[in-house]
Amino acid sequence: MNPANTHSHPAENGKPACSSGPLPAKLREQIIALLPRYPNKQAVTLPALHLVQDELRRVPLWAIREIAGILDLSPAEVHDTMSFYGFFRTDENPLGKTRLWVCRSLACQLRGGDELLAEFCDKLGVAPTQTTADGKITLEFAECIGACEGAPAVMVDDTHRHSLDKPEKVDALIKELRAR
Amino acid sequence: MATVYVNDEPVDIGDAKLNCVQAAEKAGVLIPHYCYHPALSVVASCRMCLVEVGEKKPDGTIAMQPKVVPGCQTPVKDGTVIVTRSAKAKDAQERTLESLLLNHPLDCPVCDKAGECSLQDYSFAFGKAESRMQDEKKTPPNKPAIGDNIDLFTDRCIMCSRCVRFTREIAGTAELHITHRGDHAEIDVFPGDPINNKLATNVVDLCPVGALASRDFLYTQRVWNLKTVDSVCPGCSTGCSIHLDGNKGVVYRLRPRTNPKAQGYFMCDEGRLGYHYANSAERLREPLLRTSGYGWSKSTHREAVQAVQLGFNENSLRNITGVWGVLSPFMTVEEAYLLASYIKGFGREARLVMGPVPVVGEDDRYPKDSKGNPQAKTKFTIRAEKAPNRLGVAAILEHFHGSVVGFDAFLEALDKKQVKAAFLAGGYLPNGKGHWFPAAAIEKLSTLSFLAVQEFFTSPLSEKAQVVFPSASWAEKEGTYLNHAGLAQEIHWISAPPGESRTDGQVYLDLLGRTGLMRAPQLRREIAKAVPALAALSTGLLGEQGVLPGETGPEPSKLSKRIPVA
Amino acid sequence: MGYEPVLLARVGKRDSLSLEGYRRDGGYTTLARVLKEMTGEQVTDQVKNSGLRGRGGAGFPTGLKWTFLPKGHPGPIYLCVNVDESEPCTFNNRVLVEQDPHQVLEGIILACYAFKATTAYFYIRYEYGTGMRNMQKAINEAYAAGLLGKNILGSSYSLDVFVHRGAGAYICGEETGLIESLEGKRAWPRIKPPFPAIEGAFRKPTIVNNPETLANVVHIMKNGIDWFKSIGVPPDPKNPRDMGSYGPKLYCISGHVNKPGLVELPLGVTVRELVDKHAGGVWKGKKAKGCIPGGNSMGLMTEKEFDTPMDFNGPGRVGCLGLGTGAVTVFDEDTSIVDVLHNLCRFFQHESCGQCTPCREGTGWMFKIMDRLKAGRGRKEDLAVLEEVADKIGIMPGTTICGLADGAGWPVKTAIRKYRAEFEQYLRSGQASKAKALPLAAAH
Repeated sequence: MNPANTHSHPAENGKPACSSGPLPAKLREQIIALLPRYPNKQAVTLPALHLVQDELRRVPLWAIREIAGILDLSPAEVHDTMSFYGFFRTDENPLGKTRLWVCRSLACQLRGGDELLAEFCDKLGVAPTQTTADGKITLEFAECIGACEGAPAVMVDDTHRHSLDKPEKVDALIKELRAR
Repeated sequence: MATVYVNDEPVDIGDAKLNCVQAAEKAGVLIPHYCYHPALSVVASCRMCLVEVGEKKPDGTIAMQPKVVPGCQTPVKDGTVIVTRSAKAKDAQERTLESLLLNHPLDCPVCDKAGECSLQDYSFAFGKAESRMQDEKKTPPNKPAIGDNIDLFTDRCIMCSRCVRFTREIAGTAELHITHRGDHAEIDVFPGDPINNKLATNVVDLCPVGALASRDFLYTQRVWNLKTVDSVCPGCSTGCSIHLDGNKGVVYRLRPRTNPKAQGYFMCDEGRLGYHYANSAERLREPLLRTSGYGWSKSTHREAVQAVQLGFNENSLRNITGVWGVLSPFMTVEEAYLLASYIKGFGREARLVMGPVPVVGEDDRYPKDSKGNPQAKTKFTIRAEKAPNRLGVAAILEHFHGSVVGFDAFLEALDKKQVKAAFLAGGYLPNGKGHWFPAAAIEKLSTLSFLAVQEFFTSPLSEKAQVVFPSASWAEKEGTYLNHAGLAQEIHWISAPPGESRTDGQVYLDLLGRTGLMRAPQLRREIAKAVPALAALSTGLLGEQGVLPGETGPEPSKLSKRIPVA
Repeated sequence: MGYEPVLLARVGKRDSLSLEGYRRDGGYTTLARVLKEMTGEQVTDQVKNSGLRGRGGAGFPTGLKWTFLPKGHPGPIYLCVNVDESEPCTFNNRVLVEQDPHQVLEGIILACYAFKATTAYFYIRYEYGTGMRNMQKAINEAYAAGLLGKNILGSSYSLDVFVHRGAGAYICGEETGLIESLEGKRAWPRIKPPFPAIEGAFRKPTIVNNPETLANVVHIMKNGIDWFKSIGVPPDPKNPRDMGSYGPKLYCISGHVNKPGLVELPLGVTVRELVDKHAGGVWKGKKAKGCIPGGNSMGLMTEKEFDTPMDFNGPGRVGCLGLGTGAVTVFDEDTSIVDVLHNLCRFFQHESCGQCTPCREGTGWMFKIMDRLKAGRGRKEDLAVLEEVADKIGIMPGTTICGLADGAGWPVKTAIRKYRAEFEQYLRSGQASKAKALPLAAAH
């Protein structure tokens, strides 16, 4: 093992960590630890992709190959599942430090969801799916995130933030995410 | 005995377990379909095969299901009623086609598949004349060379997923997959993993439209200009049944022909793409005769035949055991029979052996698992024995010589200078691994007083011969091959042998002094009578699927295009 | 009214998440009693006879579904808990799982005991991160306390529960789409037959149940059939195929109301009562134009139809697809129906899995037409095309593999038929929607 290994560092300044394989040992172990939960290996595909993306902020091609090797699949089969969801990023457009997704479904649209997304685009200076220049915030739209009682709502990674119905709340959130 | 009613016509399906598409096929009715294929899992996703299904009760009343169902996923049983062209079924068929054409590019003028395209054919037979689409079509970029021989025209794809299922279920190599979802879904390969498995180009046959194309065939011919004959791939002893497509004497394409008695549905790429030598301009076009010294002159067929007869007559009188015939495992049964007859015509002591049988590696079984090893249940085998008719030639050798003697015997005799006159039959496929005759033994051929060979191209071997006949390729003759299981299948010609040459069989007929043209059905009947092991050839015809040992082929019918000569 | 919530009773209380808190409120005593005194078949019978119908959207009788499993199967048998909850405007399962995970967990264990499941997979959409973490904690606590794992509470019954996260695809809420996703493949729903009860996850017998449904199981086993049947709406005696609408329902109310939120009421409350009495009425003093009564897929309901009871029969009588998730989203009199329908068509085009032709191409086509309509470039043929396409895609006409297409078509049909004048006004005037053209990236 290379002691100068930078695998454990999360994305900094928008530059992806871990530009080539192999997967850090800890990640590999976490993936393999899930195998006994299911009667076949392919079922660990989604959990493995989540583990890799949570750590590396994207799933590089070499990681797909390695996951395929662990699960006795072809890389194409893993990529088939991965690209179905639109959730996983590649080397070309990795996630920034935080994924901020703005709901665009009906309950939020009725209470200003589209305008909220436009406001974020404006204030962050990016279009949806892009990451701010400092690498901190990736802006995306989402289909109903299940927070309709607090429309318009957003997600910060996988937690909800309700009722972003005033510009001050938007500014406060951006400030919070920029400080991470 | 189960009876199924297809558009009011009863059809007996015996005790077979069929779906509606298969049952309708038995009744001669086409239920249009894309994603369904008998060799692949059923997904019922294209929705082209939607039909109305019901049940005929014992009292004669018919109860139809309220909605259309996919024919490919609906099993039939005794009393099932299938209606394929009711208003509901027609409506469903029209809508499916309209939906598929929403984003399909108007590529027919530039698309290879035109003329053999299911989308064209079904649109014509089952579709509407007009589309209501007034919006922009999607135009995803095309993906040339996703495999060495495969181009993908992404925008033509109708998402039937046959190609993906093929690489997963038959090849096992799983290179093809679907990316994204909805109407943005596309077929693709994983970067760095092109589709290059040995069965790759089958996906082009499976693709109902022109999305997947064979780079070998791309833009070379319009399919309506092609003539097609039934044949058998000469690449290995699996003996895949094929369609042989050609035009004006040029072979353009091989495609697998469904034959449950032979290989099933597919063929390998090596066999499929291995025909180019037949079109080569370098092929010998007329016989060559050695002139005095080291020169050659082109000769007529008659002169060449006479030269061989002269050479063999002389040598057989001097020393019968020095007369050899080396039969090639690429010969047809008829050719082997005729050449063997000729050689043994000089006397029982004349020698007959089998030429070298090329063997490459081990039998290659598919599908593979993710580590590249064959899975337990084999669906397709590429055999290590790279010749189409060893068993057929062996049966002839057994009959004429009492046993099958291998090529080593010839080499040993050659070494001991015991070979005086020899005829080396040809037809060995050029496989890029060098000439079939071992280079180390070439020089020893100088000890022969007479050597006749058959070759596609000039070679170190032909340099040593007194007479060189151009070999006809398997695409230029009719005859019989026996595959690894002894299945006897017919091959047919799509072109004539090049230039002034004749087929190998015609050469042997002429050597024997027999009159008439080389006609396989007639010879088969003769062979069946003479060689008990080949009794299966007795009717002279082998049918579309061939005959196994113990079976007999169809009787020639008066309406048959090929009029048998008694 | 006097209805005392049971499903939401502990939501919002201090310490609603922990095992200790749940036990203090009497939790798991039902499980303990059932394991000691009842067989799995008896539990199934009780749930069947209670008339409980699935709360996920299809309303299939829960106990009856459990009886479809093959008898005497050697196992494994699976339960998949469907917490994908991606139907827009719906969030009741999020609240249940986030705020009272042990209630759901007790329901899971009871159900698995009933039909002898060996493993339960808790399939939760990625977006419910808090809910996932709270449930994982609850599961850990349960294992530690002998409520999960081998020999639960000293009985001979063993069960494992594993959390499995989704990745943002609506089609994973479809039973067999969920199963395919669980198995690690793209979530393309399977053709049926075989049904999951016969051949489901990993080709073994599988039941897929909704969390709200499972939470109801706890109370049915605790309070009995009579109690459950005293809530809700009995079957219509004139309709022999009506299975009744028994029990409580969690209703999500959102959109143009003063107090969007979640409320638990007996099945059968009207939309008007939900909006006026429980959500503070339409906001800003406006009048309602209509609502989506059960999530996107059920279609639109006009304000005049607000007296429809929200049970399994009511919405169908006014042309909606069904009760769905029972999530009511109100839009006021100033809302453009074209905007509403555009949003819905965009959703279905984005979420169509793409497997079968009518849905893949149909949702795309309907969205393209709505895009033009919204931009003021609609053509007079468009309405007829929209209606016809919407009518013909779906499992009801038999043209698709799953019900997403029905859900895609229903809003289109109901919007055009109930608000035709507004659509025609758009076409006649060539007006574009007043909503700004916003920088929304195209679907991936």
